[in-house]
Amino acid sequence: MLEPLIQNNVVCHALEAMIFSSIACSILGVIISRMNLSSIGFTMSHAAFAGAAIGMFLGGNAQVAAIAFSMAVAALIGPVSDKAKMAADATLAVLFAMSMAVAIFLISYMEYMGKGLSASALLFGDVISLYREEIYALASVCILSIFFVLVFYKEISAIMFNMKIAEASGIRVKLVYYILLFIIAISVALSLNIVGGLLIFVLLVTPASIASQFCFNVRSMFVAAPLIALSVSAFGVWAGFEFTLPVAPLVALLLTGVFAISVMLSFKRRINTKIH
Amino acid sequence: MSLIDLKSIYTAYEGGDKPVIKDLSLDVDRGEYVVIGGPNSAGKTTLLESINGLVKITHGQANVCGLNVACSADEVRKRVGYVIQNFFFDPFTPFTVEQVVMMGRYGRLGLLKHPEQSDYDAAQRAIELVGIEDLVHKTIGTLSGGQQQKTMIAHNIAKEPEVMMLDEPFSNLDFYAREYLQGVFKEIVRKGVPILMVAHAFDGLPDIPIHLIVMNRGRITYDMSCRASEVEDIIRKECKVKG
Repeated sequence: MLEPLIQNNVVCHALEAMIFSSIACSILGVIISRMNLSSIGFTMSHAAFAGAAIGMFLGGNAQVAAIAFSMAVAALIGPVSDKAKMAADATLAVLFAMSMAVAIFLISYMEYMGKGLSASALLFGDVISLYREEIYALASVCILSIFFVLVFYKEISAIMFNMKIAEASGIRVKLVYYILLFIIAISVALSLNIVGGLLIFVLLVTPASIASQFCFNVRSMFVAAPLIALSVSAFGVWAGFEFTLPVAPLVALLLTGVFAISVMLSFKRRINTKIH
Repeated sequence: MSLIDLKSIYTAYEGGDKPVIKDLSLDVDRGEYVVIGGPNSAGKTTLLESINGLVKITHGQANVCGLNVACSADEVRKRVGYVIQNFFFDPFTPFTVEQVVMMGRYGRLGLLKHPEQSDYDAAQRAIELVGIEDLVHKTIGTLSGGQQQKTMIAHNIAKEPEVMMLDEPFSNLDFYAREYLQGVFKEIVRKGVPILMVAHAFDGLPDIPIHLIVMNRGRITYDMSCRASEVEDIIRKECKVKG
């Protein structure tokens, strides 16, 4: 897509992937952060990590397995929370531990069997060796996330405001919530190869947190968060290749830096000290 | 058939050793002003949440607006306004009063439908009726408890419900706001929409016949019409509280 502008194919693929991933994750991040479900990013990324480990263990496609396992975990979050009468955050913590245990168990077992499974690509990502199909998949999930917010905007905004009030209003909260979980699962699983399981959390949470420092309404947050994520990611890819630095951690650090600055400069916290 | 028709319903929470509501029957018709009183943990809020399907009815039959609550809870909630008892909005909640009132229309609209001019008009009428025009552009988290309460009442009026349920709607309001809103509720009832109001303070009730329900330990102990001035005395007597 960006080939006419960027001659180097590797840089071009990395930039495209980072742009799509950051837009999808930051849009979903706005919803997640308002619903106090930030740990969903952590859980889903580790579910994708465990799924990829299962895929490798079975000799299949790691990414397909990552998506399948993430979706299975996403399907469990809502019903388990409802059945166990637990806060979604507690369910996420249980599923995170389970995912991590599956991943570590399989990696350790394969090392013991002499098969040698490298987990570093899954943990830290690898923007250099991306296939075109992966970028198309990321573009699709990016469009899906935008489409989801546009189509269900009124339901999403009501749920973000207050889940119980939304339910009492007659909004089909569970349906929208479950769709949201599935889209997060796919986005995280597909982004795993780019930023890795450990850093995907940054793309989900940080751009929305930066936007919340300046935005007074949710509509502007949905615009600001992806713009911030896109700008910082694009700069991170350029800087990473220009100065031979690891791209994903660099993007994570840049986003964290922007967050720190935004907290210091946020006018939402200013107190009017004028007497008249 | 009554707009609310409960026949010997029971409700229980998961893990609870006893039903919260036991063998409760209730009929509410159009244009009734129902006041529900009783001591703490009598089951008043649970009754409201059973009517709109937020709490599952374990036995008995509940029909609201001609719909079976057990089968069509989502549909019932689209037609029933419900001002909940406790809510908290953090100061950074990124929604203005105008947006929150408009959200009252969303359930009625259903999935994949966008608000039309008539929906914006209904929200505007609710804002004017409750008297919060000066707050519309403020974010809800920055308002006082009373202003938030008024916003939530407007949110439910904008819905144009067939039944309006209010759970302690005056808990954060001063005397003037209570008196003003009682006038608003009287007007809603006059249009034929029944109001079910759980309350602990009864000053300023409108001077119209009141359908008084007194609950104790999950059962209705009093279900009669009375004058507004009699409500407090009857509740005290029923709950055996000395005046």
